[in-house]
Amino acid sequence: MKIIKYLFIVCISLLSACNKLNVPPLNIIKDQDIFNSVNGITAYMARMYSQLPIEDFKYSADHGFNNWNYIKNINTYSGEGVNKNVTVLTNGNTGYWADAYTLIREANYFIQTLPKYSADYNNNQTQLNQWIGEARFIRAFTYFALVKRYGGVPIIDSVQYYPGESLNELQVSRNSEEEVYDYIAQDCDSAIKYMNATSEQKGRANKYVAAALKSTAMLFAGSIAKYNQIQLFDNSGKHLLGIPANKADSFFKASYEASLLLEGHYSLYRANPDKYQNYENLFFDDNSPENIFVKYYHYPDVVHSYDALEVPFQQTGPGYSSYLNPTLNFVELFDGLPKNADGTLKTKDANGKYILYQHRMDLFANAEPRLRATVIFPGDEFRGQQIDVRRGIYTGPVAGGISSLIPDGYTGPYSAANLVTSSSSKQTPYTLPDGTKMNPAGLSGVFTSGVYTRTGFYIRKYMDSTKTQADMLLHHSDQHWIVFRYAEILLNRAEADYELYADGQTDVNYLQDAFNCINDIRDRAGATLLADPNELTIDTIRIERKKELAFENDTWWDIKRWRVADQEINNKIYRILNPFYAANAGEYFFDARLEENNARFTFNPIWYYEPIPGGELTKDPKLIQNPGY
Amino acid sequence: MFTANSCFKTDDYGAPSETLTGSIIDSVTGLPIQTEQGNGIRIRLDELSWSSNPVPQYFWVMQNGNFNDTKLFTGYYRITPVDGPFVPLIQQDSNGDTIVNNSRMMEINGVTKVNFMVEPFLNVQWVGEPVVNADSTVTVNFKFTRGTTNPDWQFNVTDVYLFVSEVPYVGNSNFDSRYSTQVTYSGTAGNALLGQTITINTKVMPGSRNYYIRVGARTADNVQKRYNYTDVKMVAIP
Repeated sequence: MKIIKYLFIVCISLLSACNKLNVPPLNIIKDQDIFNSVNGITAYMARMYSQLPIEDFKYSADHGFNNWNYIKNINTYSGEGVNKNVTVLTNGNTGYWADAYTLIREANYFIQTLPKYSADYNNNQTQLNQWIGEARFIRAFTYFALVKRYGGVPIIDSVQYYPGESLNELQVSRNSEEEVYDYIAQDCDSAIKYMNATSEQKGRANKYVAAALKSTAMLFAGSIAKYNQIQLFDNSGKHLLGIPANKADSFFKASYEASLLLEGHYSLYRANPDKYQNYENLFFDDNSPENIFVKYYHYPDVVHSYDALEVPFQQTGPGYSSYLNPTLNFVELFDGLPKNADGTLKTKDANGKYILYQHRMDLFANAEPRLRATVIFPGDEFRGQQIDVRRGIYTGPVAGGISSLIPDGYTGPYSAANLVTSSSSKQTPYTLPDGTKMNPAGLSGVFTSGVYTRTGFYIRKYMDSTKTQADMLLHHSDQHWIVFRYAEILLNRAEADYELYADGQTDVNYLQDAFNCINDIRDRAGATLLADPNELTIDTIRIERKKELAFENDTWWDIKRWRVADQEINNKIYRILNPFYAANAGEYFFDARLEENNARFTFNPIWYYEPIPGGELTKDPKLIQNPGY
Repeated sequence: MFTANSCFKTDDYGAPSETLTGSIIDSVTGLPIQTEQGNGIRIRLDELSWSSNPVPQYFWVMQNGNFNDTKLFTGYYRITPVDGPFVPLIQQDSNGDTIVNNSRMMEINGVTKVNFMVEPFLNVQWVGEPVVNADSTVTVNFKFTRGTTNPDWQFNVTDVYLFVSEVPYVGNSNFDSRYSTQVTYSGTAGNALLGQTITINTKVMPGSRNYYIRVGARTADNVQKRYNYTDVKMVAIP
């Protein structure tokens, strides 16, 4: 009996032990921990926003996104600037693909999961719509980063599951370029419709941010439809690269209408009546009515290194400086400088002799305020110091004028005759005729070794003029980056206007609208206004865009979508401005010439589309590589 | 233990050793087409033995228009020269349907010889011999004409370039920018010069040594904007 009782007890316990322990592990965060509260949603959003493919102070052609090393930034690829490290042009390919699809998956997951938790928010549709809208904006932003690089890419609009789906189902093929742009428009339209006018927090999206994205993306699509010639079809006839030309106008129209949505809600920054100071401040003032979407930084949590990398050599923190030198080609685009008939900077008189200046800044006395706020001229003021840029001291005769030091089009070095120069920042002072001493080169260049400006100019835009010298270090910059500002929307609008006008569309007075947009920008910039809409050409608008959005990582994409890069940058050598001090005259002159290191840049037409990373082609054999790679 | 042994197999499949060789023939001259070494013309191979949609392989054609790859596996391939300054051998219309297909489908086995005939965008020829001047520049005369009669592939002539190099592999991928001279044409200005004799000078070239020179001309084509070339000539600067 006892044995049976023990057996019975044992059997009961064994039976009870057959109950499965069906409780999820307590050390893993589950959906409900995130989705059931505002804090959880905010944390999810923070992750997605931090992964947005924003090309700011931390995006470069060799390191991609979120890397402090801004040296090979794409402003040195577009002809706006040069630096010591960029001696040959590449396709700027950063292999951005896997990270894009990771972010897209996170957005997809959010969109399909949030509705299940509606009750936690009292079914407040406005709140839920705002969040879903943000996820759609993030998804659209990411697809735009993909399509402008690769053309047609696979559109994944819901979460994929493995091993739930077979490998064959997971290996997707590329959608057409047009389908991707249409998908971006669809996400933007939904975000515009369902989001609020204001963001939940600073740095997050809202209805107008989505409209700004649509304005930009649709303009790109229109340019591709109109100017692209590269075509690629896959085996099923899907049009992977290229958009039919007859779609150009509908994309330009969509861009124009998206730009219109922002009118009245944003305006150009005009807080300071001094247009030079105003233009400098517009990049720092957090209350600017021009800011639509901003990426914020904050020391010491999230930082970049813009100041330390770009500062003039005489203000260097330990190590870096001078990595973004605006070209003379860029400077010559602006108003307020003496120009020759061919548009180049006038540095010589009618007899071909150098014009003499008592101070270097005299040449730039009437420079357009926007230019003054974008670049630092030789002899200009920055952070309380005069930025001393001088190529050398000319010791030759000055009677009758100084003749050109080199022939036109010359790319070689200066001859040593009548010139005293310094090869590095360790200089031997030269004794001038009046007995005073002067270093041959300026404190910030131009030398022949080390870091210094290769063009005579330094960058001023976005440089923090209040930064202390002790703080001029890597990872010590935290000025914000404006992703979308209203000036860009006006430029998008003017360009779409002009393209529609040129194509004979008359439902709106597009030419007048373009004229108004360009003059608004020029007025704020302190530039000469257009007198008449008929002065406008597509080039007027494109050059205005290059001037206004300079050094904002934009021009490289513009010259690519206009399909002009391969003509503009073909065995191209950039122009520079060398200031010289004429010892026997006690004054300065400037030699405008081709760059001294004979660095040539050629844009290969293959590069209008980037190569899909090889590893992705291996994982998914249905993906076809872009042509030429 | 037995299964563990069968998990390891030595890859002793034979190394590829079949040869594909031949020339890309310029339909105007009847000779192998002049191209450049690096960024010139590629041969695209699609091995159709196992799949109708394989990952393509590429290898470069030589500067003189000949090609020779001795490291291929036996198989059935589609072979197409691509990227060069000639009318593409495979063309699709705006719906993606293939309207022209001059690629070759064939077995590669042993030494396989095949030529392709292509229509170059331009034909560029020397006129007379280069002249070395007393000031150590070189003057050349040349002319360019349309290489294809198909108006869809007659684009505006964009520029001509007299390339100079100290090695025979001279062209747009390799030239000395100190001595080479480019003349660009905007819009349709270049087309007016088709068939005319054009004169270009190099810049001053230091002696005494030999240089290799070549003239390239190109159009605003929608392939890869590569140059059509003359052959290479050597000049001696005393």
